[in-house]
Amino acid sequence: MKEYTIDAKNMDEKELNRSIKKLAKEYDKITINNPQSKHNICAGLREDVEIEINGSAGYFVGTMVDGPKTHITRNAGWFAGDNMTNGELIIDGSSGDGAGQGIYGGTVVVRGSTGSRTGEIMKGGTVIIGGNSGFMTGLLMMGGRLIVLGDVTEDAGESIMRGTLYVQGNVKSLGKDAVMSPVTDDDIAELKEVLEHYDFQVDDYSQFKKITKG
Amino acid sequence: MCGIAGIIYKDKKTHNVGESLTAMLESLQHRGPDSAGFAIYGGLDLPEDHYQLNIEVKNKPGLLNQLKTTLTQISPIHNEELIHSVDNYAVYKCEIELENYDLLKPLIRNLDKIEDIQVINGSHSFEMIKDVGLVDDISKRYNLNTRVGTHGIGHTRFATESGVDRYHAHPYQSYITPDITVVHNGQITNYWKIRDPLERKGHIFESYNDTECIVHYMADKLNEGYKLEEALEDAVNDLDGPFSILVGTPTGIGIAKDKLGLRPGVMAENDDVFAIASEEMALQNVIDTEYVEQIAPGETRSYTI
Repeated sequence: MKEYTIDAKNMDEKELNRSIKKLAKEYDKITINNPQSKHNICAGLREDVEIEINGSAGYFVGTMVDGPKTHITRNAGWFAGDNMTNGELIIDGSSGDGAGQGIYGGTVVVRGSTGSRTGEIMKGGTVIIGGNSGFMTGLLMMGGRLIVLGDVTEDAGESIMRGTLYVQGNVKSLGKDAVMSPVTDDDIAELKEVLEHYDFQVDDYSQFKKITKG
Repeated sequence: MCGIAGIIYKDKKTHNVGESLTAMLESLQHRGPDSAGFAIYGGLDLPEDHYQLNIEVKNKPGLLNQLKTTLTQISPIHNEELIHSVDNYAVYKCEIELENYDLLKPLIRNLDKIEDIQVINGSHSFEMIKDVGLVDDISKRYNLNTRVGTHGIGHTRFATESGVDRYHAHPYQSYITPDITVVHNGQITNYWKIRDPLERKGHIFESYNDTECIVHYMADKLNEGYKLEEALEDAVNDLDGPFSILVGTPTGIGIAKDKLGLRPGVMAENDDVFAIASEEMALQNVIDTEYVEQIAPGETRSYTI
């Protein structure tokens, strides 16, 4: 495996992303040290490359990517993985509002909690939140699956059109057009497969609730 | 967009708040290039009846002397300093004596009547530093790295309304009750609904800026005996529009975020420090923690010492 390490400390966002895109054609893995919560890291990256971000990323990390597998060791800002079409974005810490916003494919995993509007207008793919998710989780969902292992607050699934929101914890309230039902055996099998793949431990899958369009 | 930042040291001792807020705001510079400002509490250590004035003075022959003559008719002048700024203006900083706090606002209004003079603020327990331009330039111009305090709030502005000048730079201050400041990211859409009852109570507005409206709203609540946290909770219910507002008082800082959560706000704390900012990158400059909390829609957070 060919690897390269970038020290992002004194780089601006454009310089960093230009370097990532250039190096992604030559290397299998790129490690980014001192990311300093810079915005738009890996924006538009379309190589099947492994990216390791040692620290926190800012807004729109992994936006519009197609292919890369990105791992963030700390937190992410707003709109992590926005409009991803393929690939994987794993955040070990928390993330801000709009994680997985508008994704068409691929997987976004936030091991901690997220802000509001998680999975807003997502059309496909998978978003997994290990902790809690805030206001209007699954707002205007058009497809895909959004899985929250913790609680969700007000208006879950607001104006959902297609796709499925699974919540293991409490649902404070449902949004307009959203209905909640128990999970089926098929749902449990699907959840078990994807959550075990990402090393989430779940004792009782029957606790999940399924939120869809009514 | 605008960037907001606040920090408070839990040990109640003075620290280099100027340096900390400068570092926080520098990392938020991309959120607004027009002006920046700081309210640094707990470092002035003025005698009970003393107040610090910051006054914008045009570089015009005789004007500074005219200002000083007017001031000396009211109070002896202590610890004066002239800071040269941009656009042919300077900021005259001085300390004066007043018998009571109620005389401060009328004095400011009288000084404002002098042509090419504008009082930026008058305060007892905090120092206001605000100017047009970038954070780093302002920090160097006013030697922010020498400013100590127990806590403070700061702002870097992307102007969406009102002029780009020193007065309209944040923080804004209210004189309804002493030493209340606000920095703000967002817009208040029910401005007149908030302003009208405040004016009916006799509070004076100097501009049509929504941040001025917020600071008077907060000061009025605190003056009525509300605790900072209670005033912030009422702000969430009463103010419409997208906002994250950060309030500074002589004893604390606090944030309120609109019910839809349309403007960002994050916080982190450890045993020593409680810090709030628009983005995590600002927190990283002052606190070493991986636990960053998102302020939720409609949520408030505060810390008082």
